[in-house]
Amino acid sequence: MTCSEVERVLPELVDGGSDSAFPADFESHLKSCPACSDLVSDLKLIASEARNLAESEEPAPRVWVRIAAQLREEGLIRDADTRPVLVPASPQRRWTSTAWWLAPVAAAVLAAGAYVVSHKPVPQVATHVSAPAVTTPVPQNSAPKSPDNAAKPPVGASTAQPVRATHPPAPAPKSAKPPDVVASAAPPIAEPEASPEDQQFLSVVSTRAPSLRATYENQLQRVNANIREVQAYLDRYPGDLDARQQLMDAYQQKALLYQIALDRIQ
Amino acid sequence: MVVLQQARIDYTTTVLTVVLVTCLSAASLAETKKEYSYTVGPKANISVETQYGAISVKPGSGNQVLVTATFKSDNVEVDQQQNGNRIEIASHLLRGKDAQTGHIDYELLIPPDATINLRSCSGPLSVERLQGDLTLEGTDAVVDIRNVENGHVHVRTMRGPVTLTDVRNGHVEIDSISGEIHLKAVTGPLVQARSGSGKIFYDGDFGSDGNYKFTTHTGDIEALVPADVSAAFRAHSVLGRVRHDFPLQPRHSRFREEAGRSFMGTSGLATSEVLLRSFSGKIRLKQR
Repeated sequence: MTCSEVERVLPELVDGGSDSAFPADFESHLKSCPACSDLVSDLKLIASEARNLAESEEPAPRVWVRIAAQLREEGLIRDADTRPVLVPASPQRRWTSTAWWLAPVAAAVLAAGAYVVSHKPVPQVATHVSAPAVTTPVPQNSAPKSPDNAAKPPVGASTAQPVRATHPPAPAPKSAKPPDVVASAAPPIAEPEASPEDQQFLSVVSTRAPSLRATYENQLQRVNANIREVQAYLDRYPGDLDARQQLMDAYQQKALLYQIALDRIQ
Repeated sequence: MVVLQQARIDYTTTVLTVVLVTCLSAASLAETKKEYSYTVGPKANISVETQYGAISVKPGSGNQVLVTATFKSDNVEVDQQQNGNRIEIASHLLRGKDAQTGHIDYELLIPPDATINLRSCSGPLSVERLQGDLTLEGTDAVVDIRNVENGHVHVRTMRGPVTLTDVRNGHVEIDSISGEIHLKAVTGPLVQARSGSGKIFYDGDFGSDGNYKFTTHTGDIEALVPADVSAAFRAHSVLGRVRHDFPLQPRHSRFREEAGRSFMGTSGLATSEVLLRSFSGKIRLKQR
């Protein structure tokens, strides 16, 4: 068996074929040819890891959403509602052609939220990251919350002096505003461009119910702002379990908005 | 004198014109009513969906479902269908799509054990004295549910406020993006309310053996409870203020208390679990 003949049967390795399925002189060639031997062992490892990866690390739905958006940008796929309409469709048919994606997108939003929340790393060592988007107020007699296990805490607002384990509290200035005021006075979060699915969402609303666009756009901006606000906080304090749950809630609110729109504009 | 007479004539003409226009408008907006009746078995499933208009549901007699639809115009009709124990009723807009021409108000009298699904964008939606499962959805609809027991209650709105009064012994799940949520005497094994920017207000005793979870993003949460409430509380606002007005017994928890931002503790036998959580809203637990 030659090296080129070995290369021809290599794809069977990727497909999971056992060594016994290969020609008899396959193994003998590998013993005599270090290059082919290394190649085969590498390929076996890659194939094995790939199979494990496929089982354990299914990409999040947002990955597919992004791929779809990228394909649309590159013109490789087209949105159904961009095609010329030759025959006026009934409302039901138009619905199926323009807004069918809302339900999976709503599910994808939720899944994305779950992915973001569950995959947010929790640092073991304090790393005080400056987060420009949200100013986290630190009252004079308290520190940002840490969800780590602790001894029985004191009850009552006047005596509690918790210590943040993962993030040393920043000293609050004497003239600090009340925390809720500080929160509302935080610098506004930069308004990013709407995601492709949001743009498509608003596009469908504009088409199906033009008078509702402003309402849904406003609500969408709110839920997106909520998501960004919590995300920015979590970037700063990734160990806050309640904030993580808030992020999940914010994504669920966005999914709810999609669902309500789906129900209304059909 | 002539000027006065002319002014009187002008006045009379104006009044007559207004009366005439009003009469014509009233005629054009004349309401018409249609009634539909159905016979159903136990635990019937009834769905009503309308873009514009109120839906009101009350218990009727026996196994009859009586639906009264009030039309504001002839530009809309009612699609209705019965398949066995399931009834579907929906407004069908014929021309135009505005709140005036597409408006139908529905009044339903149904068996108390029926399951109902109501959807109206404008609302209001109101339900009272039923014992089946309820699902109410409305974009801007005001939702009002009263004297309901033993059934699950699911409510979703975008901006519409939600009020539940005297709701017992069922799962309650309310989701609103920006609507306020008012719960008065609402108890059950599971009571969850979530609003983004709307406030959540609870007035009750949290029953016993229940799990209560109220969450907002920016909306405030306020709970008004009697002194003898039996519950374990945990409240936390990431960026907002949190406080309570009466003493709580310490409780062991994996969560660390943070002055002004969170509290936890028990009252009475702590038979119910109560979680109040917000991102930047204020949370307050008050004694009645």
